[in-house]
Amino acid sequence: MSLPAVIAIILGVSLTFYAIFAGADFGAGILDLLAGERGSDREAIAATIGPLWEANHVWLIFSITILFSAFPAAFSALGTALLAPFTVALLAIVLRSVALGLRASPGGRERSQVLLGRVFGATSLVAAFSLGAAAGGLAQASGARVGAATAVPAIPWHGLLALVVGALAAALCAQLAACFVTLTVARLGEDRITERFRRRGLQSGACVLLLSVAAVATAGATAPALSDRLMGAALPIVIAGFAIAALSLLALARRWYAIARGATLVTAAALLWGWFVAQAPHLVGARVTIHTAAATHAALAAIAISAGIVLLLVIPAMYLLFSIFARPMLEVVE
Amino acid sequence: MSQFQLAAISHLTAGRSQIGTSLSFHLFFAVLGVGLPLMMLVAEGMHLRTGDPVWRALARRWSKVFAVLFAVGAASGTIISFELGLLFPRFMAYAGGIIGLPFSLEGAAFFLEAIFVGIYLYGWNRLSPRAHWLSGIPVAVSAVASAFFIVTANAWMNVPRGFQIVHGRVTHVNPLAAMFNPAWATETSHMVFGAYLATAFGIASVYAVGMLRGRRDPYHRKAISLALATAAILAPLQVGAGDLLGRTVASHQPATLAAIEGVTRTEPGAGLNIGGFPLPGHHGDVLNVKVPHLLSLLAFDRPGATVRGLDSFPKADRTPLAPYVRLAFIGMVGIGTGLVALSLWYWLRRRRGRSGPEDRPTLMAVAAAGPAAFLANELGWLVSELGRQPWTVYGVFRTSSGITTAPGLGATFTAFTLLYIGLSVLTVWSVRRIASRPLEGLPSQALAAA
Ligand code: HDD
Ligand code: HEM
Ligand code: HEM
Repeated sequence: MSLPAVIAIILGVSLTFYAIFAGADFGAGILDLLAGERGSDREAIAATIGPLWEANHVWLIFSITILFSAFPAAFSALGTALLAPFTVALLAIVLRSVALGLRASPGGRERSQVLLGRVFGATSLVAAFSLGAAAGGLAQASGARVGAATAVPAIPWHGLLALVVGALAAALCAQLAACFVTLTVARLGEDRITERFRRRGLQSGACVLLLSVAAVATAGATAPALSDRLMGAALPIVIAGFAIAALSLLALARRWYAIARGATLVTAAALLWGWFVAQAPHLVGARVTIHTAAATHAALAAIAISAGIVLLLVIPAMYLLFSIFARPMLEVVE
Repeated sequence: MSQFQLAAISHLTAGRSQIGTSLSFHLFFAVLGVGLPLMMLVAEGMHLRTGDPVWRALARRWSKVFAVLFAVGAASGTIISFELGLLFPRFMAYAGGIIGLPFSLEGAAFFLEAIFVGIYLYGWNRLSPRAHWLSGIPVAVSAVASAFFIVTANAWMNVPRGFQIVHGRVTHVNPLAAMFNPAWATETSHMVFGAYLATAFGIASVYAVGMLRGRRDPYHRKAISLALATAAILAPLQVGAGDLLGRTVASHQPATLAAIEGVTRTEPGAGLNIGGFPLPGHHGDVLNVKVPHLLSLLAFDRPGATVRGLDSFPKADRTPLAPYVRLAFIGMVGIGTGLVALSLWYWLRRRRGRSGPEDRPTLMAVAAAGPAAFLANELGWLVSELGRQPWTVYGVFRTSSGITTAPGLGATFTAFTLLYIGLSVLTVWSVRRIASRPLEGLPSQALAAA
């Protein structure tokens, strides 16, 4: 396998982690918005996503860094064509972490807590939708194998396909979060709350299935080149994705909460990798591929080595983090 | 045509202003992100050695503040990594493959930092005191590593090395040579010392204000003596590092040196301008004292060396912002000198047997030193970034060639400026909320003992 392909796969894995973890976080915001006045649901959401929300920035930053070091021309083209949706997503991401952080610190007044909650929910929805729309537009522009000869293609991030994929992203985030919360509250034995989140999971899961069908149909109508690739090289992933999305619904219906969560995670991964395979080796539009956009060999080698160092250092550190927090609290005498 | 020109200029200005605002905002949190972990480690280490609960209370209080600052620092850093591509995509297409290595390593450092920050912040009651202290070490180390890697990338923009341009394409990239360019050592050490210095004076300043308001307890005294002792060691080091960095600029960025030092015409045996404010509406500089031959001596180690003046560069190759560069430089050096003076005063008093400052004038000077040290960091970056103009990569790549071709920068600049104003208000509000809570784990007699 060529060096650019190896790095593209590392980039894909990093993006998958971001999509899953940040997706569950965005979904938590969307559910929070849907919870309306019910304080118990809010607490259940807060208890589930808890103190780990900060870690998700890591995957985003890591992905961006790899993208601009390894494929500078692609980063440049994306930044130019997607200035508007990325700016909106960025503002939303920052506002939502701030709102969440402030809401979590105790001692606030009732009114400001409610307002912060609304901001947290609305910005989560906006972030999920605009990142999804950017991805949908990018897929449409990059499926085509012949196209405008410009290095910076126009990306239809407000086209029909983009809107459908944006909605799909938001629904999937909500389903991810609902599965995480259901599993947590079910373990705590909170049956009424569990039931409410199970219903949210079923509703959003149904939306995910419908919107996926709609996305494939829209691609067929508006982006034939992309559609051919989805039905070609990416077909096994697409079929597996649909099967697992259906399984997640079945598991929720049967109250197999752990399976439901696992299946939703795999659905998200399948959606991403279906897209990656459908447009590989193209990164942006018809001309920017992992080969034409790649930095020099020496630069790619340096990045591959530093990615290796990251794994060597980060995996034991992650293990340490989780083992410490799995341990019961130590009694400390002040 | 003229209308198009006007639009093109304001487009570029909007992009430059947006990235400049973002970086200046981020810098505030970056400085504390580098400095606070060290101060927490020292305070917690003092608790381990002496068993005094005041030290532990200090470390815990600072770690709460750090949690808020870390979150805002990471968010503002995320904005910047996007903005490099959104505002200056053509620069990133050019440079991404050359300075990708330090950026990737910074990503790695951040990864580790985030994990250990989680352990440190939520581990106070889960780990033994010693293990908890140890978990702070990777936080402090990776914060410095973050700053180090990012600043090597900036040093490359000032003194580009490790690549060739063949037919307009970047080739022969040597990532290590690019990272370890001639400016890496001086620029990173000046930055890291600057961050520690500003954090130490910043902490001293907060507690000096408390003491001025009459809160003269062991908690305030301990905090201030730790912070001042650290700061007083660092201030002279920082000025020394600044001198070395000045020499780096002199050998590799002649046009920047001329702007920094206010040298208009080329002179053999150039004198050092002290003061010499370039104020609008004045011909020549205001309040200038010129020390003969000193600039040539400082910059090139020879009193007779020739220093090129701004006039000797084509208009298109020298910074259009020279007066601001000079003002920022005077500000930074002035503050640096003042901080060294304050440190000397502190050591002198320590030697006479007095432990910390108690009198109003000294406390007021310490209270002013914190904001001044932060200001010096911001001014230093203005010197570096404005002084490099019109280049983004000195002598090789112009700022105007890097800006995006997408429209709408006026709107994004406005949106982000509003965001930063909002974020600043919220940060101040939540840090004050932490400060107003009662101290944990500290019996009230310890405070009353004053
Ligand atoms: C506490 C902060 C602080 C203090 C007291 C000083 N500096 Fe500084 N200076 C910085 C904080 C700083 C900085 C923010 O950290 C910069 C920006 C770029 C860099 O690497 O460091 C900087 C940049 C900077 C530059 C520009 C380098 C370039 O163009 O890239 C020079 C020549 C100096 N410094 C020299 C000095 C001297 C001679 C000082 C003696 C009084 C001094 N600095 C005090
Ligand atoms: C955190 C401290 C920093 C501050 C306060 C700062 C400030 C600024 C300012 C004011 C500008 C606009 C200059 C102009 O166009 O007139 C600018 C531009 C820029 N800075 Fe920095 N900077 C900082 C650090 C860095 C670092 C570490 C890097 C790179 C690794 C960097 C990369 C850039 C780039 C690419 C531009 C746009 C192109 C240009 O104007 O040269 N900056 N910065
Ligand atoms: C002199 C300039 C800079 C210094 C000293 C610096 C240092 C730091 C530090 C210490 C943090 C950790 C945040 C915290 O602890 O509160 C941080 C965050 C961050 N910075 Fe900067 N930074 C600088 C400029 C930049 C630039 C130019 C970029 C653009 C690529 C950037 C990107 C980030 C990102 C993405 C984060 C979040 C992740 C991280 O902690 O590394 N920084 N920075």
